[in-house]
Amino acid sequence: MNRKLLILLGPVTGLVMFGAVVLIATFLTNREYQEPYRAPAAIVDATPRAEGLAAERATAEATARAKPYVEVEYRAFPVVGSRVAIWAVAQLHLLFAAFVLAVPIFAVLIEAIGYKTGDRRYDRLAHEFTKLLSVSFSLTATFGAALTFMLIILYPKFTNYIMSVFSPTFLPYVLLFFLEAFFLYTYYYGWGKFHPIVHLGLGIGLNIVGTAIMFIANAWLTFMMSPNGISDGGALISVWEAIYNFTWMPINVHRVIANVAFGGSVAAAYAAFKFLQAKTDEERAHYDWMGYIGNFVAIIAFLPLPFAGYWLAKEIYAYSQTLGLQMMGGAFSWLFIIQAVLIGNLFLAANYYLWLGMGRVEGAQRVQRFIKYLLIAIVVCFMVWATPRSIIATVSEIRAMGGSSHPILGFLGVMSAKNTAVNILILTTFMSFLLYRRTGKTATVAWAKAGHLAQLLIFASAAIFVIFLGVYGYFVEASVRIGLSVPQVSSVLIAMVAITAIDVFLYRRPKTTADVRWGRMPAISQYVLIFIAVTFTWLMGLMGYVRSGLRQHWHVYGVIRDTSPDAFTPTLGFATLVVSVTVLAFFLLIGFVFWLASLHDLPDFEKRTVQLPHAPQLAVDGEAGRPS
Amino acid sequence: MTVPHTVRIFALVVATTAFYGYVGQLVPQREVQPPEEIVLSTDLTTADMVKIGGELMVGKGLCLTCHTIGKSGALRFPDLEGIAARAASRVPGLSEIEYLAQSLYEPDTYIVPGFNPGMPVINKPPIGLTDPEILCVIAFLQTLGGTPTVTLQSSHRYYKGAAAPAAAGAGAK
Repeated sequence: MNRKLLILLGPVTGLVMFGAVVLIATFLTNREYQEPYRAPAAIVDATPRAEGLAAERATAEATARAKPYVEVEYRAFPVVGSRVAIWAVAQLHLLFAAFVLAVPIFAVLIEAIGYKTGDRRYDRLAHEFTKLLSVSFSLTATFGAALTFMLIILYPKFTNYIMSVFSPTFLPYVLLFFLEAFFLYTYYYGWGKFHPIVHLGLGIGLNIVGTAIMFIANAWLTFMMSPNGISDGGALISVWEAIYNFTWMPINVHRVIANVAFGGSVAAAYAAFKFLQAKTDEERAHYDWMGYIGNFVAIIAFLPLPFAGYWLAKEIYAYSQTLGLQMMGGAFSWLFIIQAVLIGNLFLAANYYLWLGMGRVEGAQRVQRFIKYLLIAIVVCFMVWATPRSIIATVSEIRAMGGSSHPILGFLGVMSAKNTAVNILILTTFMSFLLYRRTGKTATVAWAKAGHLAQLLIFASAAIFVIFLGVYGYFVEASVRIGLSVPQVSSVLIAMVAITAIDVFLYRRPKTTADVRWGRMPAISQYVLIFIAVTFTWLMGLMGYVRSGLRQHWHVYGVIRDTSPDAFTPTLGFATLVVSVTVLAFFLLIGFVFWLASLHDLPDFEKRTVQLPHAPQLAVDGEAGRPS
Repeated sequence: MTVPHTVRIFALVVATTAFYGYVGQLVPQREVQPPEEIVLSTDLTTADMVKIGGELMVGKGLCLTCHTIGKSGALRFPDLEGIAARAASRVPGLSEIEYLAQSLYEPDTYIVPGFNPGMPVINKPPIGLTDPEILCVIAFLQTLGGTPTVTLQSSHRYYKGAAAPAAAGAGAK
């Protein structure tokens, strides 16, 4: 960019920011009520009107002085209202927090692999992931502080109640936050400065502290949904029971897994961003590999996520059937159709990326011929999952159908069909990954044929068992049907573990028929990675909404009722718009984080100016930027 | 002219979020208001109570979130069609009204065979119907296979009934 323009840009930005601050301050002060100017009483005649006004003023003043202190329950946030304001800030805080908690988990694992194998590429990769952390940590803390202040200002009664129930948890939370900062910055800035074991220890410390912070915060929010350890009137009986409420542990597990999936996808998006800007083949190879690892982390964490979701839903039902049915069959039931669109897109995009990745290896045609079957399976499952139980129809259409459910498609809208579809989706994606893994390799062990056959048999058995239970669910009572999801999930998990175990030994010393040519990926594959990251983020926003919105007109379900003007549950259309805007804001901010992280790789300004073709006119003697 | 990757990435992020926002507009849109508090006058007739009971079952009581009326097949909770006819003989020693009251105040005491426990206590939060409101719900349930008989003065073991209004005659059960 033009140097003079750059110099000018600084003061102009400063002036604009100053002007903005003045404008905001003026706007706020103008909103305050001010007494109109009146001439001093001494110089005007004491007319009866003036006397009357003075008496009125005196009465008003006396009333104001006698006014008792009353606790305010709510305050309004301008324009968008308190709920949307809290919603957006909480969502941004959670997204950054999820990223900050997730990245160290896989960074430490990758670093450990590098240490164990002695391969420096892993160390460089882990360091590159960690570069994204420090700015994200600051943004997490900033949004966290904003959220706290906004809760105190906008919802003082509710905040007081939560603080009184969980008072013993706040100081440990602050202490852990200090420790988090200590571990995070020493882990990042200490890269290569300590013995690898010490450095890995710092990383593990960072993960333990980060997880503990999340567990404490989860206690507060899960208590709001499934309060425990309190009397019928809301008085605290046991802090531990309030923490260890019905949904606390399922949310803890669900969030750890979801955070890893989300963090992996955002890190992959960073790699895609860098890949698209790369100038050399070496850079492209590195960022292609980084994107692959990030996406691998995201998908591996994503596969067990529905199972954690089942557990959470089961605990919600166990706490309150009403809450559970409200979620799946009431006001929020259509939200799960939107979720189906998102998850269907995620599965399609993740598989597409893996299939594109097969192009990195010569001779991939051998495995690519299976892709069409996988695609058919994914599309069919997607369609089943996205089929609603009841459909919007006119009165005559409903009469013709004999109810709000379609006579044929309605059968696909129930949980038996949806559970079956998601389990088959997971198995299919797992198969895609397995095919990708063996591209360019041939098993050399003596039992290779038997091993492949065993894998195929396990896969087919799991798929048939899942479909059988899905169909069986239509013919049994509710109490039996609800329990069928457990063997469905278990069979898929067992199949994945067993097939992976066989695969590890089967391809222990494979014959490599072609090398992986990192960097040889079409640009569209990188946009797919970014699409996956946006979809993951949007999905997190949506599921965060259902978890929180499920309480409907309760701040703390059944204990503290929401009596504010925002007590109603908004339409799904409105909720999805708020989620979209928040996700967009997150990506603008994370784009800033990516840009800052990219600065790290740039050579110093002085060196850059020397390398520029028109550099001779610039001095390089320490007074960079000044014309000589 | 080649569009820079940064611009393309930005366009992709905007298009993806806009698309999901659009999907959100395609599903049925329903704003759910908090349940309105119903003020019951003391001189309600049984017919009035049936009407109010029906409204409570749909609204504040959330009964029809789980229960159905006139459906069969693999249900999650018992269908309520014909409940009045079954109520009198369901639990030995409990009259129709006593059985219905027990299922609302202490729903886990008797579970219909083939179903799991799961019904909340109706007179406590988050549902929190008042005793007279519960009498209205019982009046409505009595219409499903029977004839409503309860009044606001009806009593059962969980509630002793309201005092009769000055102008009204007998009616307490």
